[in-house]
Amino acid sequence: MANRGTAELTIDAGRRAGLLQGLRELWWFRTLVLAFAERDVRVKYKQAVLGFAWAVLQPLGFLAVFSLFFGRVARISGDGVPYSAFALSALVPWLFLQTAVMQGAQSLLTDAGLVRKVYFPREVPVLGAVLSAGLDFVIAFGLLLALGPALGMHLSLMTALAIPLWLALALLASGVALAVGALNVYYRDFRYALPFLIQLWMFGSPVVYPLSAVPAGWRPYYVTLNPAAGLLDGFRHVTALGSLPDWNVTAVAVAVSALVALLGYWLFKRIEPGFADAI
Amino acid sequence: MTWAVRFEDVSKRYRGGGARYASLRHDLSALIRRLPERLRGVRAAPRGPLALDEVSFEVRDGESFAIIGPNGAGKTTALKIISRITYPTGGRARVRGRVGALIEVGSGVHPELTARENIWLYGQILGMSKAEVRRRFDEIVEFAELGHVLDTPVKMYSSGMQLRLGFSIASHLDPDVFVVDEALAVGDAGFQAKCVERMTKLVGEGRSLLFVSHNLSAVEAICERGIFLLDGRVEAEGDIRHVLVSYTNWVDEGERRRKGAAGAVSGRGLTIEQVTVHGEDGDERYVFSTGEPLEVRLHLSAEQTIRSPWFSIGISDGRPGALILCSMLEKGQAFDIAEGRHTVSCRLAPLPLGPRTYELWMSVREAVGAADLVDWSCVGSIRIKMPDEAAGPGGVTAPWMYGPVRVEHGWSLDEG
Repeated sequence: MANRGTAELTIDAGRRAGLLQGLRELWWFRTLVLAFAERDVRVKYKQAVLGFAWAVLQPLGFLAVFSLFFGRVARISGDGVPYSAFALSALVPWLFLQTAVMQGAQSLLTDAGLVRKVYFPREVPVLGAVLSAGLDFVIAFGLLLALGPALGMHLSLMTALAIPLWLALALLASGVALAVGALNVYYRDFRYALPFLIQLWMFGSPVVYPLSAVPAGWRPYYVTLNPAAGLLDGFRHVTALGSLPDWNVTAVAVAVSALVALLGYWLFKRIEPGFADAI
Repeated sequence: MTWAVRFEDVSKRYRGGGARYASLRHDLSALIRRLPERLRGVRAAPRGPLALDEVSFEVRDGESFAIIGPNGAGKTTALKIISRITYPTGGRARVRGRVGALIEVGSGVHPELTARENIWLYGQILGMSKAEVRRRFDEIVEFAELGHVLDTPVKMYSSGMQLRLGFSIASHLDPDVFVVDEALAVGDAGFQAKCVERMTKLVGEGRSLLFVSHNLSAVEAICERGIFLLDGRVEAEGDIRHVLVSYTNWVDEGERRRKGAAGAVSGRGLTIEQVTVHGEDGDERYVFSTGEPLEVRLHLSAEQTIRSPWFSIGISDGRPGALILCSMLEKGQAFDIAEGRHTVSCRLAPLPLGPRTYELWMSVREAVGAADLVDWSCVGSIRIKMPDEAAGPGGVTAPWMYGPVRVEHGWSLDEG
């Protein structure tokens, strides 16, 4: 890991680590990301009586509410499959994105004691939190695979494409969590604004409604401005609908997600040196 | 000899005072307000307290080095810069090798996790690989003496137990530079001794130690060199004895100033306006070495003529009664004091006093009836400073070694 051997380190005033240097150091600390993720999972399920059941109860609860109000009452189209299958197929990846961003953005404040006293690249706990949300996702995805056929999903070999789509989603979640997490250290306003903004984001994404509900003329802007839209839609295609995603939409979504991750990381690294003083 | 840590004119200014947390509203409005200036290229002058002010020092390879000073002098900031927790705003710091830092109690142990889980996580945070943690695990547990509560969440631990866990992990990760801050203050006497032993062992193995503590005798026992930081500046540096002498002198001086603030003392018919102390050359000063003569001057004003009053002067080390008492009564001396201002002086021969702060007391008595004109009262203080060439282990930090009264002495051992 880092600091090994007799490597010389210079801490210069106004020093800012370059992106490549930062990524190289992050690679050294990769096992620590896992260690943080493991700790987050342990702590989370140690404190909760229901433990891992939460990872299943959350999507099921949302599914029940969505099916009732959007499926039965508002009669939103399920793009040819039953509405509950349609809703669950986007809810599972959406809940991952939501949990990852919320926990990631909060993780530096949760670990303020460590940040003030020990050195490690500060993105490590953020990425660890995103990774620990991944475990919830795995459980929820298992639920989707188990319930899918009964709900009327068209699961097939194509469903394996959910994995690369999830990776892109994790990239997007990391970028947003890094940016918001960094600003959160300086401006506690974000703590209050974040749950609200995430709600808005959900309704701005094709979770309860299909992407086809967005007017065709707006769609290119929509999927560019909101990379989650393309990824969630792709996820829905390969699970519930049993069809290939729209490759143009997916390509744009992946590219924008990568850009968000890069910008988030850049912003994070830029203001990282002041974290210990401000936290 | 090469260095392990080098500070080159390191400055650190913390951001802004006032509100603890920046708020978006405040910063945005400030940004807009300063926009015209920023466009003209004017940068806001840096504000906020300066924790370190162009500090330079060097810790040599394999050396134990102390940073001492009062609270708020910048000691912890210096350690935080070395361990990369915070960044300097000026100059640069250089470090060679792996840094193991223990800053403040229980740093980094997570309350919800058990000791076992914490050792795994914290070991990795501090830069150990899993294999290294596995290899040292038993040693860490044994050193911390926590084998019986290994699977209890750390939140159930006392602060002393958390400290033991933190110190144990940090000191077993084979750091090249081991940084310890204040941590020892919480442990019990037995564990403190163990920590000192552990640190001495690390230094013996050729590692560098950077130690911040208010436990001056531990500093004197462990460290070879150091710096004395005061308000972010290096006040003294070099050999640890020299640094400790300079620090204890500063502490004693502060004590003397606090005590010496006595104002005028009024009595019956006369007022002692001021009491000054002077050296052999007549210059006013309050700091002397052991075995120096001094002169006490009482500046007074009399409301009417006072016939042969008896003046007394005493020197006390703070305990009841005076160590030294000089009275006109004893000498059978007396002056008539006419109305107006006068100065009564008393010359004291070389004082056999040990290093510490002493109080100056005085009284004035009537010749007839022996009633007090001025009650016995404390009118100031003087300080006997540490000898510069303090010798022997613990020579600087154990002032009890120097009884208040000093005499020349020698030891011998006879056969039989």
